[in-house]
Amino acid sequence: MAMSAPFFKHGLFGEEASLIVAFAIGIGFGFFLERAGFGSARKLTAQFYLTDLAVFKVMFTAIVTAMLGVTYLGWMGFLDLSQVTLVPTHLWPQIGGGLILGVGFVIGGYCPGTSVAAMATGRVDAVLYALGV
Amino acid sequence: MTSTTDPQGAMRPAEPYMNPYLAGIGLGLVLLASFVIMGRGLGASGAFNATVAYLELKVVPQHLAANPYLSEYVGDGSSHPLKAWLVFEVLGVFVGALLSGLLAGRVRRTVEKGPRVSTRARLAAAFAGGSLMGFGAHLARGCTSGQALTGGALLNVGSWAFMMMVFAGAYAVARFFRWQWR
Repeated sequence: MAMSAPFFKHGLFGEEASLIVAFAIGIGFGFFLERAGFGSARKLTAQFYLTDLAVFKVMFTAIVTAMLGVTYLGWMGFLDLSQVTLVPTHLWPQIGGGLILGVGFVIGGYCPGTSVAAMATGRVDAVLYALGV
Repeated sequence: MTSTTDPQGAMRPAEPYMNPYLAGIGLGLVLLASFVIMGRGLGASGAFNATVAYLELKVVPQHLAANPYLSEYVGDGSSHPLKAWLVFEVLGVFVGALLSGLLAGRVRRTVEKGPRVSTRARLAAAFAGGSLMGFGAHLARGCTSGQALTGGALLNVGSWAFMMMVFAGAYAVARFFRWQWR
């Protein structure tokens, strides 16, 4: 099979259409975040008190699902992995930033993505959180 | 499950959340679709940055010019800073979450906190946590979505280090902030 994905990098559609795709993908993202209960700070932070491990379960299931899909599609020759954008590794800033982010997560109760899901479902604390970001 | 400050706001009992493994598969497929269609993953903090950059451009442009990190989000001015992929994606997140919340009867105006915590204290903590998060995401160039989820699925070394550190940082201080939920 000829390499045909990522579609955008192969010029199947332009910048304007990519924004519509962004919106559609965002809807899927937000939908499953809320389904999982990630619009709730109490549910999210329960991970850190070991009373509810949903964050762990959802995150790692998602990572493994996407990882298997990417590997399989790459192996089939459908998805050109060299065209998938990677975040460059700068180990020390990522370690330091990660630590600070973790602390911020516990204090604030959300991460940037979940705070949007929380705002959508009416959490006033998430609005303050987003203002802080 | 959720503590509601306004019990009258509850029209009907909220449905339980989805099985976490099913939700994880759903989220993973969305991420996979993003890789296949766009050749990029998901993100969130970038959209916040773009919004701040846009506001600074309108209100205090000289302050923005002095900040190379935020200036990147405005670019050379040839296109509107809010006309960015991540901004549209995050708008979608809002709509998608609202949709899911409405379907499950989980949309209500509330401040989420423990019964013995004042609203003011919870809001202050939320704001402080958000600020820390913004700073951390700036350092690491991404947040839980962009680094942990996206980079994690691509087996990016730095993203995995980042993810471990998020959990390490969170577990290290969690006990000092449990009062928020009691």
